[in-house]
Amino acid sequence: MKLEAVLARVLELGTWIASATIALGLVARDDRVVIAGIAGLLALPPLRVLIMLAAFARARDVRAASVALLVLGVLALGLALG
Amino acid sequence: MPWAPICRRPTDVSLLLILFAVALAASALGGMLGMAGGIFVVPVLTMFLGVPIRSAIGASLISVIACSCAGAAPYLRAGLTNLRLAVVLETATTLGAVTGVVLAGAVPAAWLFALFAAILLVSARQMRARRVEAAVAAQPQDPAEDRWRLDGVYRDANGDERGYRVQRLPLGLALMYGAGLLSALLGIGSGVLKIPAMDSALRLPIKVSSATSNLMIGVTATASAGAFLLRGHVVPDVAGPVALGSVAGAWLGARVLLAMSGERLRRLFVAILVVLAALMVLGAAGVDVVRGAG
Repeated sequence: MKLEAVLARVLELGTWIASATIALGLVARDDRVVIAGIAGLLALPPLRVLIMLAAFARARDVRAASVALLVLGVLALGLALG
Repeated sequence: MPWAPICRRPTDVSLLLILFAVALAASALGGMLGMAGGIFVVPVLTMFLGVPIRSAIGASLISVIACSCAGAAPYLRAGLTNLRLAVVLETATTLGAVTGVVLAGAVPAAWLFALFAAILLVSARQMRARRVEAAVAAQPQDPAEDRWRLDGVYRDANGDERGYRVQRLPLGLALMYGAGLLSALLGIGSGVLKIPAMDSALRLPIKVSSATSNLMIGVTATASAGAFLLRGHVVPDVAGPVALGSVAGAWLGARVLLAMSGERLRRLFVAILVVLAALMVLGAAGVDVVRGAG
């Protein structure tokens, strides 16, 4: 399946699930559920990069894979500094 | 998790609905031009709803991620997003964002307001001076850029396949670093700056710029949002409705995008940006437009 199609599906589905979780948390007046949904949203862009990394690695595209890995590394750094 | 439990405050349902509506409007407006709505969300939250600026920025970052994820699918399926270029530019934006995370604590709130006002005015100017898309002329190919295989193909309005080249990558990377830094400091996606940067520095077709920027703002915001979450600047009762409104708005904006006149949209944008800039200047001066926390 083409990379673009996979990413589109993952982001669509992920956004849906995260949004539903947030809505549930707001209705149920439960902060932890809302935060869980928000964390889910936050996880989607890195997940997208990870999928790209896997696709580049499978295609033996060392350059692109290294770049994707670098981006993930910077994201991890951002989290560590938080 | 090293973040403190958030105190439960009884929150008016009407406030939740207002936050949802604000985010929806901001994201729909932004989505019509291929950006998120953070640049509207922060001023409205701080100046009209009395939300403390760092909480507003936290909520706005979540909004940007929501817009990016919710709006990505149509662009991806249309083949407009240049994935390889996106990931290369993202090294710069995320590094800029992490720099912003480090600096964020050291910047006083008043400075954030002033910086925001400046960015709003720059954005307004950028909007007014948007380059009309010209035919892509054949350019001598830079061997370095060829190695990265960044050049792409997209379908224009007539459905014809058009090729394009990526140019002046180092300049693009530098601009992306700046955009990432601003994103982390102000809680915006910087799409309004990234798109012109890709448009004029990298010489990409405008649709490709919009599509690629939409994808990139998500990861840029994530680079700093994680830190905001851990530091307790993400308030569920603010960020929650804002996130939901952004998803709905981004979905709406992408569909309206095609229906509305670009020129009218741009003029509306410019007007709103200028008004918000004026408000943020007041915020920098410590003036409270509405009774509320500073």
